[in-house]
Amino acid sequence: MPYPMIDRRTALLAGAALLGTRPALAQAAADALYGPDDAGARRGGTLTVAIANEPPNLDPFHQAGDARTAVTVLMYQGLMYEHASGTAKPLLAETMAVSDDGLTYTFALRRGVRFHTGQPMTAADVKYSYDYVRNPSNGSPGAADFGAIAGIETPDDHTVVIRLSEPNASLPMTLTNRFGCVVPRDTFANPQARTRLSQQSVGTGPFMLQEFRPQSHIRMARFANYWQSGQPYLDGILFSVQPNAASVLVALRSRRVDLALLARPQDAEQLQGQAGLAINAAPSLRQCSLDLDCNHAQLRDPRVRRAIALSIDKHAVMQAAIGGKGKVLGTIPAAMQESWGAPIDTLPNQRPDAARARALLAEAGLADGFAMDLVSIIGFEWMDPAAVTIAQQLAPLGIRLNIQRVELGVWLNAFRTRNMRFTFNDWGTQPDPHILYYRHFHGAPRGADFRNWNNAEADRLLDAGMATPDPAKRKEAYVAFQRVMDESVPTVMLYSPDLVTVAQARVRNYVQHPTGWWFGLAKAWIAA
Amino acid sequence: MLEAVLRRLGAALITLILATGVVFLVIRAVPGDAIGEMLGQSAGDPAAEAALRTFFGLDRPIWSQYLAWAGDLLRGDLGISMRQGMPVAGIVFDAFLVTLEIGLATLAFAILLGVPLGLAAGARPGGIADMAVEGFTLIGLSAPVFWTGMVLLILADAWLGWAPPLVYTPPDISLSDNLEGILLPVLALGLLQAAAYAQFTRQQSAALLRQDFVRAAAARGLPWRVVFGRHVLRNIAIPLVTYAGLILVQILGGVVVVETLFGIPGLGRTLLAAVQGRDYPVLQGALLLSVVVALLVNLLIDLAYALIDPRVRGA
Repeated sequence: MPYPMIDRRTALLAGAALLGTRPALAQAAADALYGPDDAGARRGGTLTVAIANEPPNLDPFHQAGDARTAVTVLMYQGLMYEHASGTAKPLLAETMAVSDDGLTYTFALRRGVRFHTGQPMTAADVKYSYDYVRNPSNGSPGAADFGAIAGIETPDDHTVVIRLSEPNASLPMTLTNRFGCVVPRDTFANPQARTRLSQQSVGTGPFMLQEFRPQSHIRMARFANYWQSGQPYLDGILFSVQPNAASVLVALRSRRVDLALLARPQDAEQLQGQAGLAINAAPSLRQCSLDLDCNHAQLRDPRVRRAIALSIDKHAVMQAAIGGKGKVLGTIPAAMQESWGAPIDTLPNQRPDAARARALLAEAGLADGFAMDLVSIIGFEWMDPAAVTIAQQLAPLGIRLNIQRVELGVWLNAFRTRNMRFTFNDWGTQPDPHILYYRHFHGAPRGADFRNWNNAEADRLLDAGMATPDPAKRKEAYVAFQRVMDESVPTVMLYSPDLVTVAQARVRNYVQHPTGWWFGLAKAWIAA
Repeated sequence: MLEAVLRRLGAALITLILATGVVFLVIRAVPGDAIGEMLGQSAGDPAAEAALRTFFGLDRPIWSQYLAWAGDLLRGDLGISMRQGMPVAGIVFDAFLVTLEIGLATLAFAILLGVPLGLAAGARPGGIADMAVEGFTLIGLSAPVFWTGMVLLILADAWLGWAPPLVYTPPDISLSDNLEGILLPVLALGLLQAAAYAQFTRQQSAALLRQDFVRAAAARGLPWRVVFGRHVLRNIAIPLVTYAGLILVQILGGVVVVETLFGIPGLGRTLLAAVQGRDYPVLQGALLLSVVVALLVNLLIDLAYALIDPRVRGA
């Protein structure tokens, strides 16, 4: 590997373990919110970050896109934090207690938390925010995630009790920073709320919004009354929206930006050897995949789907698509493989096997092959080389792929109406298997089953994984689910592209979170 | 004169109404809507989708949506952006000012460079200056703006170690930062337009030189300076002004390329983002503004004729 494959956190932990000194410190670093604290940090300064993907707005309740979440996590906070280790840790909550039946969650709120508006946060604000999200008539994309909540009570100003209609082990992860943000009560009673959220932030996070100029930049300033004393270290952050990957590289080289997350991990090659630039790669929760609509033409036959899976050499696809700068997947994104994944070498349909693939197609009565469209999305650069490679890999089977490029809005429309056909996809998740799988793969109406999979066994296992509080049993259910997925192939997860961050030497203590969101800036600082 | 202006304004109004209607229909015929981007891959909850559609008024029939929009427009309200949640008038106007600045700067650059080059070439057709200018126009016209911009960006980085500032600064905040930001975009667009201008000017002046009255003036023994200055220059002024209007409209339309390349928050990028995100109100507002600007420019050109050409003034 031309650049180090160990992220800073791993290095830190490994270092502490090797020296055998102060493991408690390493543990504290691992538990710390957003990244390790740094006693030697210098305060002040504005860090400039290049972003290629601009959020349409900064409304944490009505915008699902990663571009939005990536920046709003610095301004808005949930009761819990999606720790890089894959567990949810208390954030605005101080403690969480679960009843024996798994139906009642009691949260003691952190004291002394203030909103950017100046008012103190109380239990009523939490109740308001979560009642708002879970009410479908408010149109939040998070509503479905909050569907298990039956009621929220506030016995006092600092206690929130959430009652579920059925056990849901992913509740803590649901209350994290994507849709679980807490805002002052009655925020949306103001008819101008949507306009306001693009002009001022009302969260509790370490940074507050200073200016949002679409197509140009987002400016954030340190929140002086932030509850974690002494944090953040930076005075401000300037997110500069860059029009394309090339301009991000130019800006890095000319030192106009301090930090960037490369949209194309292979671009790191072009910055190799550039003095003063630190390049860091970490596994991500994103996945580049190939989705198979199980209600589309020949794909209705599971044997055909398996034959396709057995014909794809994921390493070759990843090489062509992103120069190999990622991790090949089995049935789960890279950053979750260890905690929740079925071991890839125990899955029977993950390696190319031409003979079996041909036999399966013949069994399906398609020995002569067939023609099909492969949909790729305009603007997702990796899809074009991947499409060509996959077309070549399926050709010996007699499957003639016609590559069809569609615009994102058109693609999203097909996706939403469960008309995906045979298509590439590119999506991310928070580090919880329920959040990853349920909406995408569970049958309607509880899930959305975008691929028309309609698999009762999968539904049963997903329900079991949701209801089981014991982590070991949960993992069993999800591993079994992944075996069903490997066998029945509603999707072929190809690879997770590495999260490649490039920073100027003066940027210190920035740790990249596997979601790709900018949590780490809460702990970063600038050297003199 | 006044009657002519009024008649033109009337025609412009009808064009405007037709254009907004067409835009309204066409963009809604494209699959997908603003809700698609909002929900992303977290879609799938029919109640949430229906709620959003009602919120944005997308559940109503198209004619009713159009009437509501037109009604608001008459009250001077362009609506609220579906994606950004901010008033369309502000978004579109801010973006337009940026684009207008680049457009005017490009036009000035094109005229200052293109007209003298064209005149120099046209004064002695076939001469050395003519050949040099022809080379310049050939390169200028055949190099795509995107390519020119890229090359300028790379050369500035490689030779000068300089790159444009990350964030566009409006001129009222800092003029020097502003100029630094628009330098490369204006150059990239301006080289093409200067080439076009040079070619046009050369053609016009070369054609005039062949005209009888010019030859007669020269035959009467007037010095070349006077022939060129009084007879040629004055007569090509009108086509040059017309051309300025055409070019300005063309620049405003083509500016999206440099805005995208250099990350400038102008009208072109705003339009592009609105199309991609199916932000109907912004799209309608931005196109409405573009149509108004095109009509205004044409009107101004007509008025400019009157100033330059006494014959038009009398008409």
